[in-house]
Amino acid sequence: MTLDTADTALFTFAKPTDLILEIPPTEDAQKFSPIATCYQTYINQLCLSAILPWLQEDFSPQAQPAFNTAALPSIWEFVNGCAIRIANKRLILIPSEAIDISELRVPQEWIDIPSWVGDYYLAVQVEPDAGWVRIWGYSTHEKITTVASYQPSDRTYSLDASQIFSDISSLAVVQRLCPEEPTKSPLPLLPTLPQQQAENLIARLSNLNVITPRLAIPFKLWGALIEHGGWRYKLYQRRLGLPEQWSILEWLQKGVSQIPQQLGWVTLEMQTSMALARSSEQIPPQTVLSRHLLIAGQAYELRIIPQGDAQQRIWRFELQNATVGVSIPGGFKLRLLSEDLQPFPNNEDTATTAVEKLFVEVALEPGEGLVWEIEPVPDNYDQEILRF
Amino acid sequence: MHTRQSIIEIFSSFVQFEADRFSSWATDAKLRRSMQRCVNLSPQIDSLQTNSDHFWAVYWYKIWLSQAASVQPTSIAKGHLSAYLQEPCYWEAKKTTASFSSNQYTLSDCFQIAISQIDRVLKNYDVNQGFVLKKYATVIFSSAIRETLRQRHEVDICTPWGLLRKISQKRLIESLQTAGLSSTIIDTYVLAWNCFKTLYIPKQATVTRQLTRPNNQTWEAIAELYNSQTQQPQNPDTLERWLLNSAVAVRNYLYPPLTSINNSSSGQDSVEWIDNIPANEQDSLISEIIAQEEEESRLDQQAEINQVLMSAIDQLEPQAQKIIQFYYGKGLTQQQIAQELEMKQYTVSRRLTKSRESLLQKLAQWGQEKLHISVNSDLLQNTTIVLEEWLQNYYNPPRLPSSLE
Repeated sequence: MTLDTADTALFTFAKPTDLILEIPPTEDAQKFSPIATCYQTYINQLCLSAILPWLQEDFSPQAQPAFNTAALPSIWEFVNGCAIRIANKRLILIPSEAIDISELRVPQEWIDIPSWVGDYYLAVQVEPDAGWVRIWGYSTHEKITTVASYQPSDRTYSLDASQIFSDISSLAVVQRLCPEEPTKSPLPLLPTLPQQQAENLIARLSNLNVITPRLAIPFKLWGALIEHGGWRYKLYQRRLGLPEQWSILEWLQKGVSQIPQQLGWVTLEMQTSMALARSSEQIPPQTVLSRHLLIAGQAYELRIIPQGDAQQRIWRFELQNATVGVSIPGGFKLRLLSEDLQPFPNNEDTATTAVEKLFVEVALEPGEGLVWEIEPVPDNYDQEILRF
Repeated sequence: MHTRQSIIEIFSSFVQFEADRFSSWATDAKLRRSMQRCVNLSPQIDSLQTNSDHFWAVYWYKIWLSQAASVQPTSIAKGHLSAYLQEPCYWEAKKTTASFSSNQYTLSDCFQIAISQIDRVLKNYDVNQGFVLKKYATVIFSSAIRETLRQRHEVDICTPWGLLRKISQKRLIESLQTAGLSSTIIDTYVLAWNCFKTLYIPKQATVTRQLTRPNNQTWEAIAELYNSQTQQPQNPDTLERWLLNSAVAVRNYLYPPLTSINNSSSGQDSVEWIDNIPANEQDSLISEIIAQEEEESRLDQQAEINQVLMSAIDQLEPQAQKIIQFYYGKGLTQQQIAQELEMKQYTVSRRLTKSRESLLQKLAQWGQEKLHISVNSDLLQNTTIVLEEWLQNYYNPPRLPSSLE
């Protein structure tokens, strides 16, 4: 790509402590369409596409976004920034279009939501016209919580350029020589929202007259709302005018909806064990739902299987290793919770020793929502509210 | 430009530009008297030490530090340090105009960009890290000149609307402050700007610099959003005027005018330096610095550092070594290096980052092993300065004091 004079100026005056990366050409106009409601999504996509290859080449091939790729638009709709997992550290990319590099402005969500917090925060200048990004410094959660100044007007923490570690080369060095450098400040957990309150908030924020949802309600409530993957998706769906994506009955009839499909949900035709036992009879195979998960480095499968007949509304959740014959290690747990993450009787199955499967069966009211959880936590786990 | 010789001169005179060239050194009388007094106060001190400009730099820096809380922009300590840093500033400006030939910026222009960083230099300088203030300042000046010139290029190809989308809130506020607006007015401008940024989104993927004026419908929406957040509603025309003014302020911010200290033809009075240091404080500070002076140990470490870094460079791949040589030695830009080595400019940036990573690591490891300094991001911030300083000096040994322009 030929660079015009302004961008030649970039390399003419580039400081040795900056890193300039090319945005891969395939990422431009195609991703940005009027349907992509969000310019912020576009900028974050450019930033991620330029930086992830560098992290994979120079730091670790395992570097990946900390959220499922399909989940990222639901974050960028509301908040600027992208979390990346490298080894046991989290990097938060903070893109900005600002030409000047006077400050690093980090949205409060990445500092005060416990499960979103990062170790390092990278300051990234994005230049969409010319197709490059510039990493001009980094900071740590600990530094930001102690030194940055909080800006209530847009709920960001602002660090002056002089307070930032300006040499990007030192990030790799500190990882190699001092990986145990303290980077995070302790944080209180956010209060859990009762379901009715969450629904009221979502209803309020779904109104497109609320131009910036993240500024419209107190942060404690906002943080709790978007930390819950199911509620965040719900708000995202409503604001974009998308149909309900997590209706299990619809999945079984018409196939898995678009977003959950991107997360990995599929329908399977299965012969139930009952049908196999009476192999002489023609019993039609059953449609079940399946999702593959990566847990502690191994592939597992979560299945949702309708039990009995439609009137009874009994559902069976099963977890097993994706490889036939391999069992689930002792200590694993499969757990179901209400929408607002409350337990109920018999909601959990634990592997006291290695077992072939974990399962939980529930009877549900029409329209009831459930969240599933597994211990240990699967990679890129994000709550989803399955509606029955 | 001839370099200054006497301690008194070094801490009391300022570069004078005429027709964008060095014309003379102008001495500030008050600073000269103050410096004379200091030199007279210390006849009992070994003359070798008090002649070292570094000694007096540390002295004035400590005085400045002890007064920093009382916010004296024109304290005499700062005056002395500003005078002291005239030369490194001048050399950096000269280097820039020599490397990047262009009629878009002048020597005095670059000088002014750098010298306006003095506050930042003093605020972030840490005398305990063993840096020589002059060398630390040089790294900051060099970085500031490059960054400002790059930003000017960016700003020059943007329409006002594109520019407004591409600045940080901090830069906006600083520009408006420099333009002389009151903080109340600045608050209203910032609110208008935030409403503008929220509602005016680029429609095409790669047209952000050349953004056109928002249409009237968008202006109505911006005004509505603005009015919903304030007690004093405004109409769209006013908001548009404010934003255009802001764009002008932002552009002007990158072109600081030459301050009167360095502009002999400006006709303005020189700065009134405020001298409020208690006399006995000076005496005890001088003794204290002498006691702490670790000149010898610093020279020893310097030899070891040379060893560590020279061998680290030898261990780089040949192409990486070339890039380092071209960049620090020949002073080529990354663009020129790319042409010379027939590679993409992006590749030069990446290789340079990787090479510096390797050098930084060896230097940090040496510090860890020999000096038992534990490595963390804070330390590496300083190690970077040491590395930059070393790379500049290794390939470009400093000029001898007797050289003339």
